[in-house]
Amino acid sequence: MSVFAVNHLCRELLRDHAFRAAMKADPAKALEGKNLTGPERDALLAGDVATLYRMGVNSFLMGYLCRFEVCGLTLPVYNERIRSAAPQGGH
Amino acid sequence: MAEIVGAFGVPHTPVFPFFVKRDGPDSEIARFFKALTDELVALRPDLIVMFDTDHLNTFFLDNLPIFAVGVTETFKGPNDEPREVPDYTIKSLPDFAAHVRKTGIDAVFDLGMVQEFTVDHSVVVPLHFMTPQMQIPVIPIFINGHIPPLPPAKRCFELGRSVKRAIETWPKPLRVVTMGSGSFSLDVWGPRIAPGRTDGVPDPDWAKRVCELIEQMQVPTLIGEATEAQMLKAGNVGGELLNWIAMLGTLGERKPEFVKPQMANGHAYAAWRGK
Repeated sequence: MSVFAVNHLCRELLRDHAFRAAMKADPAKALEGKNLTGPERDALLAGDVATLYRMGVNSFLMGYLCRFEVCGLTLPVYNERIRSAAPQGGH
Repeated sequence: MAEIVGAFGVPHTPVFPFFVKRDGPDSEIARFFKALTDELVALRPDLIVMFDTDHLNTFFLDNLPIFAVGVTETFKGPNDEPREVPDYTIKSLPDFAAHVRKTGIDAVFDLGMVQEFTVDHSVVVPLHFMTPQMQIPVIPIFINGHIPPLPPAKRCFELGRSVKRAIETWPKPLRVVTMGSGSFSLDVWGPRIAPGRTDGVPDPDWAKRVCELIEQMQVPTLIGEATEAQMLKAGNVGGELLNWIAMLGTLGERKPEFVKPQMANGHAYAAWRGK
């Protein structure tokens, strides 16, 4: 169920403006107390959306990480990283 | 008796209102939505029934219906902050929506009900362009077109048939239009987005094929080809085609007034007139 927690906190970035501000200010602190595995927390803090995708995180929920520019994600960075998760021969 | 006076297939790209504000009324997006709006005005509808796929903003992964009907006096949106879209309150017709739901359940569709809800850009963006005064009541019917397993295309078409029966058995005179909202091929924030963008069109040939089949009203062929594998191959929102297929279920065999493809976005704008 932990991937659910990642999906949920991605959506909270949209809905909870205080959480959004906290994630922008200090992501490690903002994620304290969240029901995440170590690898999930590490991938989030690294902005490693390819790994999160492979873990099963929903991609348009992950888009909020980029839209609100948390965990070092800007559009060029997000774009390059998520595209690296494309199956061979994909778009 | 109520009657279906027309139908629409619409895109709902959340950034389109921003683009139109930036690029003006001569831009392609503005012109295509104006063509839809002109048709809508000519049809003088009393009600819009919209088949839509929520992007995990009305529902979420803890409570995700395959099909659900909004049964309420009003609902608000958008709840996902698309640029240049104001907050709207949208009227609905709960008695009619309850009738749509009962008719569907009688036809063995397990239709969920949602009464306190907001909607995202997928409902609001088309309305923002086509009926910005929000003077026409809207009943949303939610179809899970994003999170596999997806409902089969045939099932969605039959859901549209059930909605058609509901409309035609409503005892009061109402002019109703139906809408299907969404794309045919699009990946949003996923691995198949285009370089530098937030989205991409993984299967443009499929989007073109869908447009051709819709233009010719070869609906059985479309249903046969719109397998889950094909829709997912077309992108993580490729299942939004199911909203169009449900809308087609509310129609007869009459060909559309127009289908305007926008292949850079993997979608189209289309309008049908009723009798």
